[in-house]
Amino acid sequence: VAKPLCFPCCVSAGLLGWFLLSLALAGAQGLTPAHHLSLPDVARLQSLLSQQFTDLESAYYSVLGLTKLGAAVSDHKQVCRFIKSQLDPTSIDSVFFAAEASQAISGCEIPVSNETRDILLAAVSEDSTMTQIHRAVSALSSLGLPVASQEVVGALTARINKEDNVMAITSALQTAARLSKQAELGGILEEIEDLTARLDDLGGIYLQFEEGLEATAMFVTAAYSLSDHVDMEPPLKEDQVIQLVNSIFSKKSWDSLAEAFSVASAAAALSNNRFHVPVFVSAQGPATVSHSQPTLQLLVTDVMSQPLASANVLVESAYAVASKSIILNQAPFTLNDGVFELNFMSKQPASGYYQFTIAVTGDSRLVANHVELKVKVSTEVAVANMDLSVVDKDQSIGTKTTRVDYPSKAKSSFTADSHQNFAMSFQLVDVNTGVELTPHQTFVRLHNQKTGQEVVFVAEPDSKNLYKFELDTAERKSEFDSISGTYSLYLIVGDATLENPILWNVADVVLKFVDEEAPATIQAKTLYVPKPEIQHLFREPEKKPPTVVSNTFTALVMSPFLLLLILWFKLGANISNFSFSPSTILFHVGHAAMLGLMYVYWTHLNMFQTLKYLAIIGGVTFLAGNRMLAQKAVKRYVS
Amino acid sequence: MSNSVISVISRFLEEYSSSTPNKLKVVDAYLLYILLTGALQFLYCLLVGTFPFNSFLSGFISCVGSFILAVCLRIQINPQNKGEFLSISPERAFADFLFAHTVLHLVVMNFIG
Repeated sequence: VAKPLCFPCCVSAGLLGWFLLSLALAGAQGLTPAHHLSLPDVARLQSLLSQQFTDLESAYYSVLGLTKLGAAVSDHKQVCRFIKSQLDPTSIDSVFFAAEASQAISGCEIPVSNETRDILLAAVSEDSTMTQIHRAVSALSSLGLPVASQEVVGALTARINKEDNVMAITSALQTAARLSKQAELGGILEEIEDLTARLDDLGGIYLQFEEGLEATAMFVTAAYSLSDHVDMEPPLKEDQVIQLVNSIFSKKSWDSLAEAFSVASAAAALSNNRFHVPVFVSAQGPATVSHSQPTLQLLVTDVMSQPLASANVLVESAYAVASKSIILNQAPFTLNDGVFELNFMSKQPASGYYQFTIAVTGDSRLVANHVELKVKVSTEVAVANMDLSVVDKDQSIGTKTTRVDYPSKAKSSFTADSHQNFAMSFQLVDVNTGVELTPHQTFVRLHNQKTGQEVVFVAEPDSKNLYKFELDTAERKSEFDSISGTYSLYLIVGDATLENPILWNVADVVLKFVDEEAPATIQAKTLYVPKPEIQHLFREPEKKPPTVVSNTFTALVMSPFLLLLILWFKLGANISNFSFSPSTILFHVGHAAMLGLMYVYWTHLNMFQTLKYLAIIGGVTFLAGNRMLAQKAVKRYVS
Repeated sequence: MSNSVISVISRFLEEYSSSTPNKLKVVDAYLLYILLTGALQFLYCLLVGTFPFNSFLSGFISCVGSFILAVCLRIQINPQNKGEFLSISPERAFADFLFAHTVLHLVVMNFIG
């Protein structure tokens, strides 16, 4: 009989207070990032950006993208030569790409002529597109040429009214970030809030523009770029920042250089701005500790997987999931070679699962710095006091108890017939602490060596955590199909928190059943064998009477007609008054035709055709009949 | 008792043969014929079973319908009922009889299967 386990209760009021506080904190904390750029992702992004470039635009994306990721651009001189050779001084786009790319690599100066400068300055007007204004202003700024900031602001404000789409306003934000701080950038700064309102919230996890990944990533880059420039916190809530992180970094392969560049820019912006730095906390390897692996190791990085060396990581609280008792409170992690470590086993936790609330502090910019982590403590189990005995049913005292030690097998086999029960008792203890364990899986398997049949039972612990298993041969004979013989007895112990699951052949048991059937080898259930064919039973035709009977009755039914003719003859009915006028003849012909139509209807036609013919014949017959009867009436009146 | 029944019947037959016009007797003979045909069909159904049911129904309804229409014709052409059928001449009655029969036979033929 299984008895319910008693759980240990919460310990003291003080701990209870901390427990409630940690729960409140857990409720107060917001989202944590589901996606970020792991080191392989960053490597992939870098290799995409390092591809050989074919024109100035791809050179711009490659060079600037790699710079933002902190990677080195190979062979600066060759890149510089390429840029200079591809430069078209009359095109704003060309000058923009060349200027920005050359600024990123050292020792590359683009010569600028007066015409180029004039073209760039002329682009700053409300008649140019937003892209042109952005590129012109950026090029001027990169080339070190003076820019009339207030004019630019005026042009941008006018353009925002005309071009209301997301990419245009993002370009405006980028442009404003290149202007002098003395200019009136407040109006453009407000656009960040307007754009934030246009983001789509997907399931509370993602926040993105319907225009796609590139628009979202460039918006994030531009918003933080401008906010850093004017030193005002962007109006993005922490949850929104995390949702943006999820949207931007959920895609792990990028379709175009422009998309890759936008992701790299966003990653750089989010790891290095003055206001919001999202933190990504994950366990290195599985979040499991045991005696052989006593330290819990955490990686604390920004969205680009760069470690946050200046951070302090501590466990605010940790409690056991099963018992809810607090085991850790404000325990700090130590930084060891870029990884944060905590020796959890020193607190000697019992095996099981623990919920950790981890806080990352040390920088006011950190976002999503409270993380919940589930940690598993695993241990090794040992079977102790394994006692096997055969108990007589009449007396409850065991005849002989044999102790077996793991992993050896009992020397002699045990015999149990219908008068006896086979009993087994044991304890499962934690090897390191000696505490009794109740793993999820404790099975006793009996395997018939000859027939291959196996029967599995569950061993259940009593209130003192002592496992007992009893096999009543008479009661259980249906499970065994009453097949007597030698069965190997195995003990199976397993659990998610056990490092050493046990499969132990404890002993051999000879079972004797009454009413034994001839032992047949157990065949695998024939589930997938073709089943017997079903023969379709067609509807039986109804029983018809023999033809003789039908024919007799047909004749019988015809006979009254004969009687009718006889009676009419006797009454003196005749057709001597038949007048041969055309209407009479026509009427009779028509009437006969109608009767013939009835027969044809029965054999060949359907209702619609019949009605059609009936209408024609009937019409004729009616007219003729009308005539004929009128004549008869006249004749009757006259006579 | 049986005496009075027999005398009633013989009296009825006498009255019938003397006072009924010939035309009506012709129609009466037709009625008897229809009646017998219908009765025989019904007897067959009772003896052998209703398969095929639709054919039995159409045959039987044909008899019943014809009987009813013939009775209507007889009522309408009876000279003694002339007062009640002033607007309907015997020819008109006969024409109605024929038209109704056409419709009846259309239905019967449809149902006979």
